[in-house]
Amino acid sequence: MKNINYRFILIITTSFFYSMASFANNSSGDWKPQIVEKMYLLPPKHLNKVLNNDFNKSMLALNLQTTDNKIKDRIEKISELNSMLKGASKNETLEIKHQIIINKRDYIKDMSNLLTMKRQKLDTKKSFFQKIQKNIRNSSLNRKTNSEFLNNKNNALKRAESIDFKILDSAAHSMSKTSKYFKQYQINKDAVKKLKLAIQKHPMSNKNILSKDPKNKMETVKNYVHNIDTEISVLEMKEEMINYMAKIVALDAMSLAEEVAFDSQNQNEIVSTNFNDPVNVISVFTN
Amino acid sequence: MLNLIRNLTVILSFIICSHANANSIDTLERERAKILNLILDKSISIGERKKRLEISKMRLLDLERMTINDKNINKNPNHRTIKAFENFDLTFLVHSSLEKEKPISVTWLEKIGFTTENLMSTRVTRK
Repeated sequence: MKNINYRFILIITTSFFYSMASFANNSSGDWKPQIVEKMYLLPPKHLNKVLNNDFNKSMLALNLQTTDNKIKDRIEKISELNSMLKGASKNETLEIKHQIIINKRDYIKDMSNLLTMKRQKLDTKKSFFQKIQKNIRNSSLNRKTNSEFLNNKNNALKRAESIDFKILDSAAHSMSKTSKYFKQYQINKDAVKKLKLAIQKHPMSNKNILSKDPKNKMETVKNYVHNIDTEISVLEMKEEMINYMAKIVALDAMSLAEEVAFDSQNQNEIVSTNFNDPVNVISVFTN
Repeated sequence: MLNLIRNLTVILSFIICSHANANSIDTLERERAKILNLILDKSISIGERKKRLEISKMRLLDLERMTINDKNINKNPNHRTIKAFENFDLTFLVHSSLEKEKPISVTWLEKIGFTTENLMSTRVTRK
């Protein structure tokens, strides 16, 4: 019984790791935004820029670019083959049509891949902004519940800052040695003050509506999500277009197959009449 | 099987509990208690008390600054943390004493109601 239990646990554990591994394999070529939380405070335009730059560095962007190039090549090849159709003989026409259908099929495959990747990009972007939305909601909820505590803490911070010079004065007269933290605190505090001042004076600081008003922030992020939703619905329409294109290519292939079959049937018929119908072989006997 | 479940529970609870960290308020509170103990200690001389208070004061000042600037306690503050910031003068003794320009012992005694006026107005009675 004990052995069975251990085996059972072993199976569950290995299956868990197996599922984890398969999950990791699926994520190859993914895009996981590597944006630090501080960047959420950037102005909307800049946040989007940073996000796009992050995307450009991803494997997904590389795959997207490669597939895009492949599609361009396929279109060029199809139009080249189409132009060759005019002066071609019957056999050549069949071969060219065959090549066109193959290229069209590959184009549809690549285009389908491209749309899937674009969809993946938009989904990732959407979930990124949804995460920001969630963070804003959570932080505003926390702010509401902890507002009294935060007020007290801010007051404590202000009071502590207001007596910084007194602390320095007292430390100078004190008999005991100041700690390493004490010295570092003073240096860092001065540096932070300078940086804060620089941020206030910075021209972009006034344009940063995200960090100033949570309502604006939420509205801007909602707009982003809305835009992404519209892009996704456009992609869905394109996917439908690809389905229709695939149907047309399938019909073309059927028509070509019929054409080839009809030709060979005709050739066979000629041969058969030559040998099976005595009317057609009269000339052989008369000449 | 029961043994296995029990062992797993112990291991899991150990893993979960190992993530708990000491709050900066707790460390501050320990140091503050040491200072108050020193103030109320009758077994040491005045000179010794002054010397030891100077050393403890600097350590407590560092801890107070660390607590005031600690942003981690903003997330889900516990009851002790909330109460600590509600009573700035009692929690941050060094800051409060420097603000009022009084010794730590006087600041603390005044805050808990042991002012000279209060003590003078009391009278000895027999029940």
